[in-house]
Amino acid sequence: MQTEEKYDDLTALFAAQDETLQSEAFVDRVMQPIQKRARWRGPLLFGAGGLGVGAALSQMGGLLEALNVRAANLSVSFDQVQTLSFDMMSTDTLWLAAMLIVVASCAAIVVTERA
Amino acid sequence: MKPDIDLAREAASGKEAAFEALVRRHQGTIRGMTRRLARHAAEADDVAQAAFLTAWRKIGSYRGGSFKSWLCTIAYREFLQARRKQKPEVEFDESAHIITFDTSASCLAEHLDLDRALKTLPENQRICVVLCVASGLSHSEAVAATGFPLGTVKSHVNRGVAALRKQLAAEDVA
Repeated sequence: MQTEEKYDDLTALFAAQDETLQSEAFVDRVMQPIQKRARWRGPLLFGAGGLGVGAALSQMGGLLEALNVRAANLSVSFDQVQTLSFDMMSTDTLWLAAMLIVVASCAAIVVTERA
Repeated sequence: MKPDIDLAREAASGKEAAFEALVRRHQGTIRGMTRRLARHAAEADDVAQAAFLTAWRKIGSYRGGSFKSWLCTIAYREFLQARRKQKPEVEFDESAHIITFDTSASCLAEHLDLDRALKTLPENQRICVVLCVASGLSHSEAVAATGFPLGTVKSHVNRGVAALRKQLAAEDVA
């Protein structure tokens, strides 16, 4: 720090020069590409997320139907529970979970990321 | 006035207005620094703009300390990158857009003296003077930015400052 104090006079001269460079045009020049990207980012990601939600919802009817059928069969034999669980995992539930993960990821990106 | 670190945190969470405030606050230092390093004002403003855009992308990696130093380090690296890309045979485009600034005649004369004196320094000396004296980086921050050894930075700064003072004094006498 001692050595840096030796050139305060020059630092002041440079600082005065920097003051004259304040310009709103430059601020706009920097912010324009940032704002432009941000304008497209939200609609694009929410659009993709919306498609995901749509696809997931379209599976809900089939999923509930499958659950009803499986629920009726569950009482038949306790030994069949494991098999039935695997069946459900491999069909609609997995599909629905994947869609929800996609939507959640898109929302997380929009909320937390910048440009 | 909000401290830089708070604005940087807000910018990291995606608030463009916070980043805009940081640009407004530090544009003078960064534009001044790039103008002292680059050959032409238009080229310098391109480098300054690129530095701010990089800062926006990387603001999540800012971990406190002097925001100005962090920004100056980015600007110096952008300057090096731009210089590497430059082709020596390409002529300066006189029609390029330059953002003008107003200043009084006496102030302008003083600035011209300072610029002229700075341009007479050898390049590495000029870089160290610009970073440490004009932009306010500490010697260790300049070491981190340039990769020069600490002793080299100190010696460049001391010699550069002495040369600048000599030049300015000579111009005052004349």
